[in-house]
This record gives sequence, C-alpha cells and structure tokens, in this order.
Amino acid sequence: MGRSLALVAAFTALIMSASPKLQGAETVWSGLVIAENVAQPQPIPLELTRIEGSLKKLFGYNQFQVIGQSRKLLTTGQEDWLATSKFFGLHVDARGESEAGYVLNLKLYKEKELLLETDAKLSKRSPLVIKGPQVGSGQLLLILVVQ
Amino acid sequence: MKTFEEKWTAWLDGQLSGRELTEFEASLPDKAAAEAEKAEAKKLGVLLKREIGAQTLMNEEFFSHQLRERIARETAGSSRESGGRRIEVSTWWTIRRLLWTGTASLAVFLVFAIFVMRDKNPAEQSQYLTQILNARVDPVVSPNATISMFEAKEGRVTVLWTEGLQSLPSDYAAK
Repeated sequence: MGRSLALVAAFTALIMSASPKLQGAETVWSGLVIAENVAQPQPIPLELTRIEGSLKKLFGYNQFQVIGQSRKLLTTGQEDWLATSKFFGLHVDARGESEAGYVLNLKLYKEKELLLETDAKLSKRSPLVIKGPQVGSGQLLLILVVQ
Repeated sequence: MKTFEEKWTAWLDGQLSGRELTEFEASLPDKAAAEAEKAEAKKLGVLLKREIGAQTLMNEEFFSHQLRERIARETAGSSRESGGRRIEVSTWWTIRRLLWTGTASLAVFLVFAIFVMRDKNPAEQSQYLTQILNARVDPVVSPNATISMFEAKEGRVTVLWTEGLQSLPSDYAAK
C-alpha cells in the first residue's frame, strides 16, 4: 500500500515538473523595421528570417530593413532598454517573468512624442509584431523576438 | 394427520407398522400394483447405493490422499507469521488489491484530467503565444487611430495592428 502511494506521488510530481516553464536567461531582440516595396529588395535581416513568410504575407511588402535595434539579455526579467533610430525610440520595460513569458511594457516614441503604448506577455516561441505609422511609402514595424 | 403421500412414502420405505400398516394397505385400491411399485423402488434404491455410494479407498489411494493433505497443511502453515497472525495466501488480484489498483488508476486519471483541462481552458490563450494585454495610442496625436490584435498561425506571430496613426514623411525612415 505504501509503495502504491509513493508511486502515485512520484508520478504526480513528474507530471508537475514536466509542465513547461521559462527558465534561465533569454536574449530579446527588439527592432524598428521599415517595410516597403522596392524593385530590388535587400535580403531580410537574420533576426527576421524565421518570420519572413508571415511578415510578407501580413503586410505585403518585399523588403524589411532594420533602422534601429537592441539585443538584451534578460536575467532577472526586470530589465529595461531602448532601441532607437534617428527619429524613433522603442522603450522596453520588462516587468517580470511568468510561465507564459516576459511581461513587457512597450512605448514607441517619435522623438519625444509618445505614439503608442502596450503591455504584452512575450513568449519565447512567439514573436510580437506591432504595426506602427506609415513612413513615406513604407510602414514602420516594431518587432520583438526571444532568441 | 399424515397425508396419503406421506403414508405412501413411509410404506415404500417399510416405515409403517401395526394398525397404521393394516389400515393403509386396506386403503390401497390395487394392492398388487402397489406391491410391484414398492419392489421397483427397493431395486432402484439398491442400485443407487451401489453406484454412487462412498467407495472404499485402496491402500495406495489412501496413502496418496494422506500425503496430499499433509502437503496442503504444511503449505498453509508456512504462510503464517511467527507471531501467529495469519497472512492470506493469495494471488495478485485479490479484492483488496483490485480496490487499491482501481483507486490508484482513478487518482492518475484525475491528475491527467486536471492538467489537460487546465491547459485546454478556452478562456486563456495558449502560453506558447505572445499575448497582448492592452494597447493605447495618444488620442491627441492620432485621434482616429484604432487598434486590433490577432495571431498569425504561420510563424506563431502575434500582431498588434494599428490603423489611422499619423503618417510621416520618408525622412523618418532614416537610421
């Protein structure tokens, strides 16, 4: 009887430990990207290759050019950082780690003007893409990927 | 007061005597036929006794029987604890073990069910997808802006889609 109970307890513990969790430090890549249609498109940046198909399908552009980026190693899940271009700034404030991912507060600035603010849980397996303002003939995109 | 059937059975078995026997035989409508039936019954009784009665054991059979009984006694004796408490000689699937196995299986099933139901809760998004908790734009800068969010299955991309943000000249695309 004791053995049976121990077996059930061990099995339960095994299942509970098998539930997915984010563990350890992760690097988050955040980028300001201009998407546009050009005659001779440049190759897509390495950070975006895994979502190239989705980006082209969703936005209908053939070139994605990084105008500002930041790569941040998250150890405590409480870090904050900035990805900037000449006119835009993306401020990312990590507000903790949960089972689902990192809780982030994102603010897009045009110079000192706040254009957009959002809170998101960024999952390791699921990139976040934010459609920003139209810029010339192209589109500003904000992209965050856990690497 | 005995019924006729009781008296008949007793008469066949030779249990009636005296006045009771005389009166019963006098009441028989056909005594010869009754006597013939009584003789048949006796013959049948003798036959049954001979065929299915206890057989006397031969010497070898008796020895073998005694030996088997002793082995059975010794086997049962070895299953007793030294303190005298009796341990059941049993196979794996006793009623008690069946109950325990059933309970353990039910517990495992419930654990699985709880985990599966927790993961499949439709009110929650999958933890493998990025979730947008909220979003807002400056209503002064972009008064007509709208926000929507969705997930693109291809690439597991979560998209925050804005419309109506203030358009900017191409100079703003500078690095």
